[in-house]
Amino acid sequence: MSNLLYYSRNRCTSVEQISDTTLKSSCRLQDTLTEAFVEITVRLPDLEITDIKSELTRSLHKKGMDTDKHLQKVIGVRVGPGMLKIIKGLIGEDMDCRELTFMVEECCHGVILAFTKDTLIDVPKDKGQIEEFYKNMVRKNIRMYNRCAAFAPGSPLVEGFEPLLK
Amino acid sequence: MLKFSRNKLVSIVKEDGDTLIVHGVLDDYIYSLEINVSIRISDRRILSIDGKWNRWTTPECPRAIPVLKEAVGFCIEEGIVPEIHKIIGRKGCRHFANLLIECCDTAREAAMLSRWEDAKKENKELSFEEFVETGTQKLPVLQETVKHADVEKKVKEKPAQIKVSDKKDRTENKSAFDGTSKGFVIDLHMHTSPASPCSTAPVDRLIEEAKIIGLDGICLTDHNYVWDERAVEDLRQKHGFLVLRGNEITTGQGDMLVFGMYNDIKGIVKLEDLRQEVVQAKGFIIVAHPFRGFLVFGVGRLGLTPEKAMERPLFKFVDAVEVLNGKVTEKENDFALTVANGLGLFTTGGSDAHEVSEVGRYATRFSDKIKDEKDLVNALKSGNYTPVSFR
Repeated sequence: MSNLLYYSRNRCTSVEQISDTTLKSSCRLQDTLTEAFVEITVRLPDLEITDIKSELTRSLHKKGMDTDKHLQKVIGVRVGPGMLKIIKGLIGEDMDCRELTFMVEECCHGVILAFTKDTLIDVPKDKGQIEEFYKNMVRKNIRMYNRCAAFAPGSPLVEGFEPLLK
Repeated sequence: MLKFSRNKLVSIVKEDGDTLIVHGVLDDYIYSLEINVSIRISDRRILSIDGKWNRWTTPECPRAIPVLKEAVGFCIEEGIVPEIHKIIGRKGCRHFANLLIECCDTAREAAMLSRWEDAKKENKELSFEEFVETGTQKLPVLQETVKHADVEKKVKEKPAQIKVSDKKDRTENKSAFDGTSKGFVIDLHMHTSPASPCSTAPVDRLIEEAKIIGLDGICLTDHNYVWDERAVEDLRQKHGFLVLRGNEITTGQGDMLVFGMYNDIKGIVKLEDLRQEVVQAKGFIIVAHPFRGFLVFGVGRLGLTPEKAMERPLFKFVDAVEVLNGKVTEKENDFALTVANGLGLFTTGGSDAHEVSEVGRYATRFSDKIKDEKDLVNALKSGNYTPVSFR
C-alpha cells in the first residue's frame, strides 16, 4: 500500500463577536465529497438565532435544493440545552439535510464553547486550587455530576458528593 | 476578532481491501485531542481505537482515555450516534465523542467510495453520481443487529442530584407552606421508561416511590407522549394512588408541560399553535425549566437580566412558569421565579425525574384535594398552589 490518503475531511467552526449583542458562528466543511458552509447569527443575551446562511458547493445529495430556505426554520430557536432536538425536528433528518443540520449544531456548540472558554479563564493557576475550582463548579451545577469521566463517582473532583440514592 | 475556533481533521488511509485506518484530530481554544480508529469495511465495525489528549481542562480528564475502548465492536452505521454520546460522551468525554462521530461519519463515506470502486469492477462505466443516485451504494443489511455487546448494556447513570454540605432548603423563602403544611402535593413533572427514551424509571416503580415519600399524586409528563386513559386508570387502581396525565411537548421555544389536552403531537410545534390547541381543549400550559442553562456557565455570564428575560415572547403563550425544577441549578430556578413574579404568572414545581430516586424532589402543593385530571386543570387555573421542595 502506498499510504496515500484515501479520504480527507476538514471542518472548521469559528465564532466571532460582531458587537456587544451579536455573535456570528460559522462552520465550513471541506472533504473529498462535500463542500459546505453554514453561518448563524446569534443575538445576546438570549442566544437567539436571528439569521442563517448556507452554501452547498459540492454534495452527493439533491442538487439544486434550496438549502438556505430550508434552514430558515431555525430562526428564533435559542442556543441552549435541548436545542439539538428542536433543530433536528425543525430541519429534518433526511439524508439531504443531515449534513447541514449537523453543521448548524456545530455552530451552536461553537457559541456555547466560546462562553465556556470565558469561564475557564477564571481557573486558578495554583495546582492546589484547581481541584477546588472544579469541585465548586459541580457543586453549583448538579447536572455536571456523572456527566463525564472527570466528574464520575471515583473522581476526586466529586469526592464527598454523595448521590441521593435510596 | 475570533472568540472561539474549533478545527477537526480526519484523514483516512485504506490499509488493505477491507480496512480503513482513520486518524482524527480535534483542536480548539480549549481542547486538543486525537484518536486512531481502525474500521473493517465489510461489516463497518470498529476493530481498534486509541486516543490521547494534547490539551485538556480538569486534572481528571485523562480518565476519559480508557473509556474509548468501549467503542470497539461498534458498527459505524448512522444509528450509532446516540450510543457514542451515551457511552463515550457520558462515561468518557463529550469531545472525544464528537471527534469519534466525525471519524465514523467520514469513514462511512470512505467505505461508500470503496464500494463504488468494487462496483466499477463489474461496470467500468458506472460513475460515482450514478452509483449514489441509483441507490446501489446502500449497504446490505447486517445479519447481526446487535451493534455491540456493550452497546445494548444499559448505561447506569447515577442521579444528577448530589448532596452537598452547603445545600439549603429551598422551601424556606419560596413557599407559603412548610414541610408540615396541609395541602395536596403533586409532582407535576416526571418521565417514565420506555415512554420517554431518556428515562430509566419504570412507571410502577415511580408510583411506589411517590407513595413511599408521601406525595399525594403524580403527573406522567413523558415527552410528546399521550398516556392511554385506561392504562392510567389501571395504574390508579393497582396502586391505590392518584396518577394523572400530562405531556411535555417540545416547541420551537422549548419544552412545555401541558395538562387537559391529549392530542398526540409529534415533532416540533410552534408554541403559538400549541397554545391554540390547549385553549381549544380548555387545558393549561406551563413553560418547563425556562432558564435551564449550560454545564459550565449560567445565564449570568450572558448578561441576561430578569427584565430582559421577561420580554421573551414565549411568556405570552403560557399560563404558568415552572420555577422549581429538579434538573436545573438553584440560580436558574431563582431566576425563573423572579421572572414569573415580574410577569405575574402562576408558579409550579416538579422533579423532572428521569430516575426513581429523583421523584418528588420538587412538587406543587395545592390547597384542595385533587381527584382527577379535570380537578387538576381547574386547580391550576385557580392559582391556589405553590411550588415546594419536597424531599
